[in-house]
This record gives sequence, C-alpha cells and structure tokens, in this order.
Amino acid sequence: MQTEVLAISTAGTDAEVTMVRGKVVRSKWAHSILTFLMVFGPGLIVMEADNDAGAVSTYIQAGAQYGTRLLWLLLLLLPITYFIQEMVVRLGIATGKGHAAMIYQRFGKWWGAFSLFDLQAVNFLTLVTEFAAIALAVSHMGVSPYLGVPFAAVGLIVMVITGSYLRWERITVFLCLFDLGWLLMACKLRPSLGVLTHDTLVPGVPAGGLTASLTFLVIAIVGTTIAPWQLFFQQSCIADKKLRFSDLKWGRLDTFIGAVFTITVAACMMIVGNASKLHGIDFADPAQMANALHVFSGEGIRIGILLLMINAAVLGTTAISLSSAWAYGEVRGWPHSLQLPFKQAKGFYVTYVACVALAAGLVLIPRAPLQLIILSVQVLAGIVLPSAIIFLQLLLNDKELLGEQFVNKPWNNWVNWTIIIVLLALSLILAAQVVAPNLFPSA
Amino acid sequence: MHFMPVTMEINLNDLPENHYIVVHPLDDIPEEKVDTETLGPIAMTTSVKLSLLALRSYLVIMVVLVLYHVLDLAGLFGHHS
Repeated sequence: MQTEVLAISTAGTDAEVTMVRGKVVRSKWAHSILTFLMVFGPGLIVMEADNDAGAVSTYIQAGAQYGTRLLWLLLLLLPITYFIQEMVVRLGIATGKGHAAMIYQRFGKWWGAFSLFDLQAVNFLTLVTEFAAIALAVSHMGVSPYLGVPFAAVGLIVMVITGSYLRWERITVFLCLFDLGWLLMACKLRPSLGVLTHDTLVPGVPAGGLTASLTFLVIAIVGTTIAPWQLFFQQSCIADKKLRFSDLKWGRLDTFIGAVFTITVAACMMIVGNASKLHGIDFADPAQMANALHVFSGEGIRIGILLLMINAAVLGTTAISLSSAWAYGEVRGWPHSLQLPFKQAKGFYVTYVACVALAAGLVLIPRAPLQLIILSVQVLAGIVLPSAIIFLQLLLNDKELLGEQFVNKPWNNWVNWTIIIVLLALSLILAAQVVAPNLFPSA
Repeated sequence: MHFMPVTMEINLNDLPENHYIVVHPLDDIPEEKVDTETLGPIAMTTSVKLSLLALRSYLVIMVVLVLYHVLDLAGLFGHHS
C-alpha cells in the first residue's frame, strides 16, 4: 500500500475547485480498510460506554447469583442492540442531524420537549450514579473521594473541550479497549470452557426456577444493555463526524463490532461475578467483591476490578454527558460540535461541563439520597426508552423524510416492532416493580 | 509500506488507474443530506396514530404507577411500614 498526503481538487471546472485532504492507496482492499478505520469509532463507543458503572454492578450481580447460567441472554441481546443502533446509523447518515432535533421537527414541540426533558433528567441521574461508583472505587483504593471525583471530573471536561472531535474519539476508543482488562481477568479466573459454551448456547433457567428476583434481574440486564441515551448519542455522534452516505456499510460494521465487543466484555463481567459465587463471597457492590476476591485470586484482580469500575464510569459519563449536550444544542439551535472551539460553541460545552460538574458535586455532598436517585433512574429510563425507540421506528418508516433508500424494509419492521413490544412490556414490569413493589410476590 | 511525507495537489480526474483516494469524513466536502427543514410535521397515518396512542397509554400507566407509589409512601393504603 502506498500512502501519500494530498490536497485534491475535486471539482471538474476551474471555476469551482474545492480542496480536501486525503490519502492515495493502490488497492481496493487498502481503500476499504483505511475508509473503515476512518469511520470506526461511534459504534464501538456507544456500545462499550453502555457497559457503565450500573452495568458492571448488574452483570457482576448476575454472575454472583446465577453463575454463568445467564450467558445465553447476552448472546440473545447482541442482535437486538445491533438492530436498534443500526437504525440510528441510517437516520444519522441520511439526515446529518441528531435524534432530538428529528423528534422536534417531525413530531412537534410537545413530544420534542417531553423527550428532551426526560432524556436530560435520566441522563443527569445516571451521571450521579457514575460518579458514585468512582467515589466508591477510589475510596477502596485508599484515595479520598474528595480528591478522586474532582480529578475524574476535570479529566472528563478537558478531553472534550479541546475543540477536536478526533482527539476525543481517540481517547474514548482507547478507554473502550482498556475494558479488554475484563477479558484478561475472566481468563485468569480459569472458567470451565465446556460450561461457558453450554451456558452461552443453551438457554435455560438457573437452579431455583423462575423466581421474581430472577425475572427482575433479567429485566435489569436487558435495561442495562439497551439504554435511551444510546439512540441520541450515536445519531449526534455520526452527525458530528459528518459520516457520508457511502460510509453506511462501514458505520454498520463499526456498530456490529461494538455490539460483539460489548457483549463479550459483559460476559466477562459475569464470569468475574461467578468467581465470587464459587468462593461463597457475599457483597453489596463490585468494589466490596474486589476486596473479598483478592484473598483467593490475588491483588491484581482487586486493583483490576476497581480500575475497570472507574473506567466504566468515565466512559459512561463522557458519552451520556455528550448525548445531553448534543441533544440540548440541537433543539436550542446552538452550534454543537466537538470540532468547534469553546468560544464558538459555548452553550454546547457549558451544558457538557454543567452535567459533569453538577453530578460530581452532588456525589460529594454527605448523605446525598443515592438510593432515591438509583430508583428514579430506573423509573425514568422505563419512560424514556420505549418512547425514544417508538419515535426512532416511526422515523425509520418515514418515506417522506428518508425516501425508499433508507427506510426500514418489511423484515426490519417485524424485527423492530417485536423488540419494541418486548421492551415496552419489560420496562413496564420493571417500573411497576420499582414504584409498586407490593404488587409483586416476593421471591 | 512506503510513505511520501509531501503534500501535493492532484485532480480527481487525473488519478492514475488502480489508485484510490481515501478522505476522512471530517476533511471531506459536506454532502447534501435529506432536507428536513421544509418537511414540517410527520403525516398522521394510521400506524403513526396508533403508535402515538400506544405511547400515550403507556405513559398514563407509568404516571398512575408513580402516583400509586407516592400515595403508598404517604401511608394512604395503610400497610406502609
């Protein structure tokens, strides 16, 4: 492959010459690989950032309670997450606009304001839980949360406000790849490959049968794997990166790789949780489990879990805060791009900084009502996710908007409506359990 | 792999055979997207109406559940510990 740095004049006439930077390669393969690498990013980030602090807690709890018996559920969720985010890729590339802007334009101010308000509320509360996880992890590492949390918040702000989309994307992709640490830890714990293969490929109910606690854990896993902010984030990210119509197939591949990566990491978290089950360890949170597990598995595992908890929370925070800032900027009509310097997109950056700083500040308040916040996140997510997905599905059937090329095919609609109905039912059951636990029999 | 650390100008029409140009999306000429500004609100077809009706019903149920929870917390049903 030969690569040259070029300035290319693309227009045919002398009167209209446009210069762009590019690279020349000498084979179709090199062209395809290089194009993919340039498009790669939003799909991996949106998927892996969803393995945030809440996800770490849920998957580890699933492993601790049921071992690896729920791995098949993760395999089932892989195509579901892909199909939902693939719609976002199409919509983002076709319109060049974010999800919030599209809801405002096509469904009017009421639905637009409703979606935006819900998104901002659930995002902010989720951010508080991310910083709570950072505070918990750093305190188990012997660092004061009053030092660790502000440090993380400043780092998160600096990586965004430099006015370079590519810089932010590269840092975030690196953080995503850092999550491969879960894979290393899972390998170090030496799970039985036969059991793993069986539990992944053969669906089944764990010993003890279908209890209420198993039902709600399954719902929590589904809710953790598919989050409302993901729809808003990836569409805005694609619009900000200015992906072109010709990039659609690479955007889809990026999203598929992201889905596989995320599900693999989630499975590894479950395997790590399984280790605590094997050693008979009881714990209230992953940090506590890390401390207890190091007696059996060494200090490396303890530090690894704590660092990966922080990494998960940092990834979640940057993606969720950006989805809020992009959505608010789109609706308000402010300049809203990571490519713009701070001075030219003040509203966008201030929204991001405010999300990060307020959430970090709230966590540091003594006796902050974290339990109430976690409960509110679950209820609000139950409201936002179904509505955001219904709007997405309607937009993807909007021929006036997208034309024949980008709208859903009939098989897309069958798959997507099935997913939506299942998610609606699961969200309703989870929200009902959270707000009215007396309605349900105890396990 | 051979790199030529030079910047040169080339016209797309003059590109030699079997040579391909790769341009990063952020460096490319902005392409014309679907024009959403002139469209206005979505057409209220039967499926759109039904979907929005289902969404409204879902939201009403959620509000009722939250209200139930608030009243339960307030001890209105008499069994709150």
